[in-house]
Amino acid sequence: MSVIAPNFKLSGFIKSIIDDAVWFLLIFSLIGFPVVMMVLFVIPMPVIDGELLTPFLAFTYLADPTRTLPIVQAFMTTDMFKIMAFPGFGFAALLAAGTIFVERKMLAKLQLRVGPFYCGKVEGILQLAGDGLKLISKEIIIPAKADKPIFWAAPVLFVASAAAFVALIPVAPGWVVADVDMGLLAVFAVIGFFPIVTILSAWSANSKFPFIGGIRALFQMVSFEIPLILSLLGVVMVTGTLNLSEIAASQSSFPWIVFLPVGAIVFFITMLAELERIPFDLPEAESEIVAGWLTELSGMMYGLVQLGTYLKLYAFAALFVVLFLGGWNGPMIVPPFPMELATEGIELGPVTAKIGGLEPLLTEVITQEMLNGTLMFVLKTVGVIFFILLPRGVFPRIRVDMLLNLGWTKLIGLAFVNIFIALALVYAGVLGPGGLQ
Amino acid sequence: MADAAFLALTVITIGSAIAALEMRSLIYGSIALMGTLGGIAGFFFLLDAPFVALFQLAVYVGSIAVLILFTVMLVKRELIFKKIEDRKRKFAGIGLMLIIMVSLGAVFLDSGIKTITTDEPPVDFRDIGADFVIYYWPALILMGLILAGSVTGALILARREDVENDQRVS
Repeated sequence: MSVIAPNFKLSGFIKSIIDDAVWFLLIFSLIGFPVVMMVLFVIPMPVIDGELLTPFLAFTYLADPTRTLPIVQAFMTTDMFKIMAFPGFGFAALLAAGTIFVERKMLAKLQLRVGPFYCGKVEGILQLAGDGLKLISKEIIIPAKADKPIFWAAPVLFVASAAAFVALIPVAPGWVVADVDMGLLAVFAVIGFFPIVTILSAWSANSKFPFIGGIRALFQMVSFEIPLILSLLGVVMVTGTLNLSEIAASQSSFPWIVFLPVGAIVFFITMLAELERIPFDLPEAESEIVAGWLTELSGMMYGLVQLGTYLKLYAFAALFVVLFLGGWNGPMIVPPFPMELATEGIELGPVTAKIGGLEPLLTEVITQEMLNGTLMFVLKTVGVIFFILLPRGVFPRIRVDMLLNLGWTKLIGLAFVNIFIALALVYAGVLGPGGLQ
Repeated sequence: MADAAFLALTVITIGSAIAALEMRSLIYGSIALMGTLGGIAGFFFLLDAPFVALFQLAVYVGSIAVLILFTVMLVKRELIFKKIEDRKRKFAGIGLMLIIMVSLGAVFLDSGIKTITTDEPPVDFRDIGADFVIYYWPALILMGLILAGSVTGALILARREDVENDQRVS
């Protein structure tokens, strides 16, 4: 009989846990706590109910749940929350993780396979967590003749570029990490970093498969950037702004895909090419060049690149939604919160439970518009992601010359057609000042 | 804050420019060149010109640096040129650069640049666009024609006649 740990003793296990706890408490109270106090001295703390939030006050708030909601509200309006949690990285990573699982399961159903099945008993729902644990615990192998600094930096830079892209996407009115006046130009600037990171990663591995994949990725991305930028200019012409929030807000009556369907189609095709999805997955063609530019990446480096790829997928789908499908606009389907519960309290017979701080939280931060906008945005984004995933189950990979021919002749021509449609709509007075909007 | 950012950008720009010149590895040299171009974009941000800064990033870092990288990667490992390294030439070059920088700086400082007020609001890019359409329309049309001509030329160049057309299974 084989056991995992033959010399296991419960008493030894408990002793080791107690040892760890004692050491943790000792080190934290000697070093960690003073460091926390010193850092808190520098950070500007929020003023809550006319009182400056000090650490001691924070402890009393922790003991009184009705006073913690103002802290939550103050935290939700900070930039840190926006960057890390809601419209930024955490939200996008959640959607990206969902995308990976749905992709595997949906493709399996399309091709009459089962897909992930055993992890977590119910339809392999824990497969993603299992994969993540596997990637984290695996050894990172660096090729002997690799260029080590670039090879280490490339996955991190890839995720950083994808996160910068995610930061520009407005999710609900006012909920965007970086509300740049030139949002669309910033998107073009960020997209330009992906081929650099890809080719540097591919070159630094010093192996032939990554290098061929990297070269393919480079010319595919660079040549499809041109129709991508041109196809979005129509939207800029009819809205007269480059700010993504204003573009989304301008579609309250109808989405731009109604007037600019050609641009939407061109953008969708270039999006598939930029994301290296099938039928444009030449850089990662697994039946020709092992795994393309990802071949030499192992362990969590591969995990990071995978995370970056799916973040990029989410960001492109979200950009499509913001530019062509109306962003957060849509019918109000989230019911209003019964405000008398917040203002007067919940009556349960003789007892009235009143939660302090709930009313400003619901009227200022988590409003009905924000919830409904997020819901609409997520629904549309998930739909676009579904259409990005769908070709993978159906189409074969196309040849390099067909790809370049498509990008350089057909898509650029169609993008110009789209620009002329937009110009005609603006000059005929259908859209723009004096027109419908 | 702006002064610290200015100093940091200066160090990044000039440092990576020197690195781009001095690095023996072509790849690292082109990465350093990217640092220089990105630093210049940072200067444009400091000067309240985000439009130019983002175009600098998109065009120079995103396209031109990529082209340089692409070309460098296709170069053979062996050096094509003979190295001429001479301390005299190096110091003469540095001296020449210093003379030019100092004289240019003297000209700039003498030109009354110090009297310019810097608290003007940033110029909106829409105003620049309106100026282009109203006052500078001949230049705009000329630029448009040149760009359209170059795009058409690129399309024609990219559209090669396939010699293996009859070998293809269509």
